[in-house]
Amino acid sequence: MTEYSRMVKGFFTSTGNAKAINIPFVPDYVELQNKTVAAAGPAASVDFSAYWDSNMGSGVATMLAYNAGSVLIADFVASQGITPFQCGLSLQYGPQLAVASTTKATGTVTTAAPHGLATGDVVILEGAGGWPQILGVQFTVTVTSPTAFTINWNTNQANYADPGALFVRKVLCPYLYLPGQNVISALDLSGANVKVTTTTFHNYVLGQEIGFQIPAVWGSTQLNELPNNTTPGSPVYYYVSSIQSNTQFTCTALSAGVTALNTNQPAAPVAGQSFPQVVAVGDVNSGGFPYSGGALYPSPTFPTFSGGVPTINGPAIQGAFVNNTSQGFIIGAGAGTNSAAILVGSPGDVIFWRAFLHDGNF
Amino acid sequence: MLILRDYIVSAASQIYAAGGANGDNPTNLGVSDFSVVAATLDTNNAYKFMSGIEGDLKFGTGPVRSAYFMLSSTELQPDFDALTGSGFLAQWNYPQPKDALPSEYGSVFNIRILVSSEAPVARGASKNARDVYYNTVVGKQAVTHINQDGYSMNLIYRDPYYSGMLAQNATLAVKFAQAQAITQDTAIRNLLCTL
Repeated sequence: MTEYSRMVKGFFTSTGNAKAINIPFVPDYVELQNKTVAAAGPAASVDFSAYWDSNMGSGVATMLAYNAGSVLIADFVASQGITPFQCGLSLQYGPQLAVASTTKATGTVTTAAPHGLATGDVVILEGAGGWPQILGVQFTVTVTSPTAFTINWNTNQANYADPGALFVRKVLCPYLYLPGQNVISALDLSGANVKVTTTTFHNYVLGQEIGFQIPAVWGSTQLNELPNNTTPGSPVYYYVSSIQSNTQFTCTALSAGVTALNTNQPAAPVAGQSFPQVVAVGDVNSGGFPYSGGALYPSPTFPTFSGGVPTINGPAIQGAFVNNTSQGFIIGAGAGTNSAAILVGSPGDVIFWRAFLHDGNF
Repeated sequence: MLILRDYIVSAASQIYAAGGANGDNPTNLGVSDFSVVAATLDTNNAYKFMSGIEGDLKFGTGPVRSAYFMLSSTELQPDFDALTGSGFLAQWNYPQPKDALPSEYGSVFNIRILVSSEAPVARGASKNARDVYYNTVVGKQAVTHINQDGYSMNLIYRDPYYSGMLAQNATLAVKFAQAQAITQDTAIRNLLCTL
């Protein structure tokens, strides 16, 4: 029966990190073929093809891979294999992963076991241990090793101590809508205009209208939407005037007269402490794009500044927000149990994939 | 409703509850959190949804202030009950309970609480790994959704004969083109709390 089956195909160039593939359904079967490996011929510890079926369970895969002796063998990826996902409802988090240590000088978090994260993934830290000032805040990570990553926050300050019990938890579906609310990790006041660094991808575009919500303990309250309580109803908004990266932009707010952002918050008490935030406001948000030739009604991409991946959604009305509801599967960077071949391939490998959703499961 | 819910979770400003005593960040809800959020929206000149309900000569009832709406999870109902006597008024104790909305659980000061099992919850996401509840407090002018003209909503039904070549299954679907927008960001806050 193939009355309602769905099938799609595509390809990508591997970075060596886990790869999320957005498709219009949640697959129950996935095939991969590594064209680069096939063209190069036998080599040590590389995978040629892989398969996943939902009946195997999530996060695994079978492979045909070359072992250390360059012999093609059957192999099995027991973790960080192929995982289906469906992002569209509220915030979803992965399991807790224990943190072995932190290095506050570099903002590095080292996990006790391989974290399985890729640069650009979003996590939160939680637990009774150190860095309580920022526990619960979402961070886009930069992966530095299979068991380490850095966060976008200056922890190299007196009130931060390298901690005891601490856990990391992956945010499975961040950026459900664009542009979102962002926590501010730094304000650069050295230039004429305020340069803002956010803990996650800000997803703003040039001309974006923004507003600040900075609790008094963090300083910089001069930027707040309603800085003067005697004139309520006259919120102060700014525009994004340039974008430096997915986590940094400059706005039209003048630096002069703005108090520095104090991220060296005391370690206690932190119960009920709100964070400095920047939000998109007004009618000039980034939903939808005016037609400028080429593809009509291009899908929005996340993140907005660089390296964006189109969503499966169509265009939104300009002036509204864009939703990032997505589904598909993730090709993990897990290794085989019978070889050291990595499922997602080596950086530069061209991977062809096919995904299916079958009518029945007999 | 679910689309708008997730949109607000992603886009609106947040206030972490600090009035509770569980030591987490955010804390559990205390009555002061309701005051803080209502004061913030008042200062921002948000419009309240409801005018108040005048008191009546009935035992156990009390007047209800003009109020904003707060959309909360049903899982928070025990915490609301625990605030009875210190600010929470159950909808059954309104002068005219019939004036309450069907999903209304009660009110605290200038906020009337609507509960739903579909309210947003971030499981295990607090400082101490408790569930974080997003309580959306809105003024009248805060959010809107935009339906594309002439395409607001279609209910689609195809009987089995037309739905598949073997006429085994029918198709029932709803299709709509809709976008969301925060029309006044100063009139909306997500009050985050734990249990």
